[in-house]
Amino acid sequence: MAESAITFPAASLRTVSASSLKQRDIPRSSKLSHSELQTGKPSWWSLRDISSSEWDLLVFSTVLKVLLFPAYRSTDFEVHRNWLAITHSLPISKWYYDTTSEWTLDYPPFFAYFEWLLSVPASIVDKRMVDIYNINYDSWSVIIFQRSTVIVTELVLAAALLRFTRGVVDPSTQRIISTSLFLHPGFLIVDHIHFQYNGFMFGILLWSILSARNGNLLSCGFFFAVLLNFKHIYMYQAPAFFIYLLRAFCMSPQGELLFARFLSLSNIVIAVFVVSIGPFLLMGQLPQLASRLFPFKRGLNHAYWAPNAWALVTTLDRILLKYAKETGMDIALNAEALASASRGLIGDTVFAILPNVKPIHTFIITLAFQSIFLVKLWKTPTYKSFLCALTLCGYVSYMFGWHVHEKAILLVLVPLSLLAAENHALFRTFVLASVSGIYSLFPLLFKPAVRRVYE
Amino acid sequence: MSLTDTLGSLAVATKGQYMTGVSVDIGTSFLKPAGVPGDTLKARATVTGIGRTLAFTKVDFTNVAGDIVAYGHHTKFVGKAYGHPENVKFSDDDLADQAPFDSLNTRKTTARRRQSSSSLRAISIGPRTNQLRIQSSALSIHSFAGSETDQSEIHSPAPRRHFLQTDSHQWLKAGPLSSTSSRPNSPLSIASTDNAEALYSSSPRRTRREQTLSFSSLLNHDHVALARQRKATPAFDREHIRSGGDVYEGGNAGAGKRWIRWMHRNRMRDQVLVCSVAAALWIKWCVGLGGYSGAETPPMFGDYEAQRHWMELTNHLRVHQWYTYDLQYWGLDYPPLTAYHSWICGFIGSLMDPSWFELDKSRGIETPGSKVFMLDSGHFQYNSIMLGFTLLALDFFSEGRDELGAICFVASLAFKQMALYYAPAIGSSRLFIRLAVITVASFVVIFIPFLPPFAPLTSILDPITRIFPFARGLFEDKVANFWCASNIIFKWRSWFSQPFLIKLSAALTALGSLPSAIDLVRGGWRVMDNSTMSAPSSVSSTTLGKKQEEAIAVSTLPILPWAMLSCSMSFFLFSFQVHEKTILLPLLPLNLLLSGASNDSFAFEWGVLVNNVAVFSMWPLLKKDGLTIPYFALTFFWNYVLGYNPFKKPTQRRLFRYLSLLVYAAILFIHFVEMFFAPPRRYPDLFPVLNVLVSTPVFFFTWLWSIKRSTEVAWGISGMGGRS
Repeated sequence: MAESAITFPAASLRTVSASSLKQRDIPRSSKLSHSELQTGKPSWWSLRDISSSEWDLLVFSTVLKVLLFPAYRSTDFEVHRNWLAITHSLPISKWYYDTTSEWTLDYPPFFAYFEWLLSVPASIVDKRMVDIYNINYDSWSVIIFQRSTVIVTELVLAAALLRFTRGVVDPSTQRIISTSLFLHPGFLIVDHIHFQYNGFMFGILLWSILSARNGNLLSCGFFFAVLLNFKHIYMYQAPAFFIYLLRAFCMSPQGELLFARFLSLSNIVIAVFVVSIGPFLLMGQLPQLASRLFPFKRGLNHAYWAPNAWALVTTLDRILLKYAKETGMDIALNAEALASASRGLIGDTVFAILPNVKPIHTFIITLAFQSIFLVKLWKTPTYKSFLCALTLCGYVSYMFGWHVHEKAILLVLVPLSLLAAENHALFRTFVLASVSGIYSLFPLLFKPAVRRVYE
Repeated sequence: MSLTDTLGSLAVATKGQYMTGVSVDIGTSFLKPAGVPGDTLKARATVTGIGRTLAFTKVDFTNVAGDIVAYGHHTKFVGKAYGHPENVKFSDDDLADQAPFDSLNTRKTTARRRQSSSSLRAISIGPRTNQLRIQSSALSIHSFAGSETDQSEIHSPAPRRHFLQTDSHQWLKAGPLSSTSSRPNSPLSIASTDNAEALYSSSPRRTRREQTLSFSSLLNHDHVALARQRKATPAFDREHIRSGGDVYEGGNAGAGKRWIRWMHRNRMRDQVLVCSVAAALWIKWCVGLGGYSGAETPPMFGDYEAQRHWMELTNHLRVHQWYTYDLQYWGLDYPPLTAYHSWICGFIGSLMDPSWFELDKSRGIETPGSKVFMLDSGHFQYNSIMLGFTLLALDFFSEGRDELGAICFVASLAFKQMALYYAPAIGSSRLFIRLAVITVASFVVIFIPFLPPFAPLTSILDPITRIFPFARGLFEDKVANFWCASNIIFKWRSWFSQPFLIKLSAALTALGSLPSAIDLVRGGWRVMDNSTMSAPSSVSSTTLGKKQEEAIAVSTLPILPWAMLSCSMSFFLFSFQVHEKTILLPLLPLNLLLSGASNDSFAFEWGVLVNNVAVFSMWPLLKKDGLTIPYFALTFFWNYVLGYNPFKKPTQRRLFRYLSLLVYAAILFIHFVEMFFAPPRRYPDLFPVLNVLVSTPVFFFTWLWSIKRSTEVAWGISGMGGRS
């Protein structure tokens, strides 16, 4: 009679930690640890806890990204190389004043520090890479170095997503979500072809969201403050963070302010800001920093219009203008608008017929729309409604913000992905938003191709 | 309660059910406290009765003392699942020890049980006789239940066979031939001829169609030998269990197998092909972003321009000018099928943009649009078409459609003359007049535009002289073959005249491919002898009937890839005018063999080593084309997907392991030095020569090894001879 035995090592794997399994002298092995560690108490600093399928994904995506090295790269590539040069060859007091290249430093100080750190190995790899006057230098050494830094820093995202899959009720769904985020076409297009460090930035954002999920709101606030000092575009999502942290962390469910918590949170946030902009504060460069970070002169629309509300308004203005010209209507046309031949390119967008939009208008509209769901978040400060609020904050800012870049759609798609498995309505929204959002990134790839053909 | 549910279902599944149906009635009576957390709880599930619609099971739970603490009953409706096509039919052999799960040792680790999170795990296994099979079945449960949410997906503990399971490696259709019997059939035992005999004694045509014999079935020697080795050592059992079924769960298996297996488990079987093709295309496209042969290097450019130029001239010139027009600038030097292919591509391209293929004016055109149209991965050639035709030919041969196979092989030859490297092997495996007629006829069809009445008879000479360029010299660049490697000491080209070298290389090549060709022919004859002995009544032994032809063809099939490997390697090593790229030809049969080998077999290690060295031998070429990044990325990825780590600590077969380690170390060393140091001025070709010196011995030993193996396999099929 054949006999075979089956063990039930852990009735509830979530509750049984790896160490308690060991005590019951069940042979431990790397194979067993997949299933137990994916659900058991995670110890994320150990590489052994990464299952083979997770290694597979990492290797596959890395190879793919490496193969994309020779792909088209946008001016952002040169922008970042120039920042390497600025931070390496200039003293910190001149970082935000340098105008040798047209691509001046316009990210917050943490990113400048980050570039400064990168410039150390860069100077070892190729001295000419960090030469501030060596404009438009794109030898293979620069391409390989800069592209590899994107891949390496994206590990922050990988680590955060890995942690998301640990200790959840439904790990398989979370694994799919994590995979879809890690291999997100948006990141492939914007980071590995177009060239930016979004994987790194969103990695920090996801660490922050992860802390919120795990109930560690203090570190949630910390990570978001750090993120804001890396790239200030995440201000789009600041209202959601602010309301959520204030309501869920600094106040009791009854609505009383917990002063000690409030102080600890604000101290952490202030400490982060001090480290970041402190040196510039001491040197009295804050106004210069602010003018670099918030270039309101740049205009309502970005170079390629982000497909948002203002794009529709601009289109309407163009149609009206044409209509007015055709019919010869006697309307006071804005002469400036008629004169500007290159409407819509970098520079201020001026409407011919419709009233012009000022930054303050976009702010008011954005805040008005955001307040709708922020009130809801205030009333029910749960993790789920926080995620919803994050998505919607990004969405509203994208729709009505000033000088929105099409890359900002990732601010919507990433938190929305985390929500996708909640219910069918959200899933449908996620599919629709992802398809159209990724399609909206197409101009980033398409334009250079056209230019190459016809130039 | 949930144990009753699960174990009851499993007990039903031991009856071979693919799906265990729906529960009709279930209940558990708890008699005593089960004990404290940590105690062992034994559960025994038995199928009390099973009919066409209902299956009755009972489960008894006993504590440490052996007292029954609870018993459960579980009735399932199996009517829908009764006739499921995936149900396992037990053979007579299996009935003896059926229902391996009748008794299940289970261990309860904690009193707080939740159905959704119990995990099944095998800790001991059945009797020796059925050991491997039960292991795999137990482990298949483990894999189902391992991802603790998939509890509902436990269908069956019985193994679902597919080609990725280690004991039925079939790269073609998996037949029951090699999978039902785990009996070791050693290549040296006459007993294994019963493969051939079994095939022969039933109607060959039918047998071959239904249970296709694959090339790799003979490779099972490696695997079966290994399995036998394991059976002999009880330590293996424990080791195997401790590792949680490494062999099956993918500790050894590479990422590729792991993912395909995962897709199979999760009902994505149909998408495996689509996904792999899509992934391959995606990667190739990414490689296409990089450089290619002769990019932006006027006046001659490179292979990319050559192919584009052929598209240009085939579209603008009359057929008889194809092989004569301006030969100095990339004259067409491949057989007519390449020319026809160029004509079609050029025709389609001209519809998009005529300027890409304008006669003479378009030379060296490298606009983004034309590059996208020509898009290819890397260096730029159409080798895959030739290799694809050969593979298709093999596929037809193994299905028994020899005529189609012959046509495909002729197409392969007529696309690139390099397919000639396989010709001795394929030719000697199919020595039948009928096929010869087909072969000649298809050649004539392909060359028709160059034959009367369409052209004067002399015009056939144009393609012929272009295709076989003996005027070019013994070797061109540094290529890892015998001539180039030995050229360091023996200056062949200054010692001997060109015609003599041609004869010498031809003789050596013929000599090199002779052994495996003899194996094929001899194997075929011997099988025929044996079969006429064993079944004299059914076949007249005086004439070589169609049935016999087929019997020979079937039984010699396993020798074919080995013979192809040794022939093509012999051509690569010894023939005249060999290119680095030609190493792709030996790689085709080698990879067929590799696909049938398990991860710890000798064939696998050889195969991977030769593949890696082959890619390394093309490195000077790839470097020149600006394909450094794809070279490193893809070599790494390929090894990763296969689950091969060249620097893993050697376990068995010490000498080979250390030798291959040495080769890898040498390769890494050369790459490292080349990266940081320029070659000395006196020896500008230092690195390519070092490359040749590392690669050639590996290829040489591969050639010897393939001869040895093809002989062994031939013996395995036909016996060693000495028949009384």
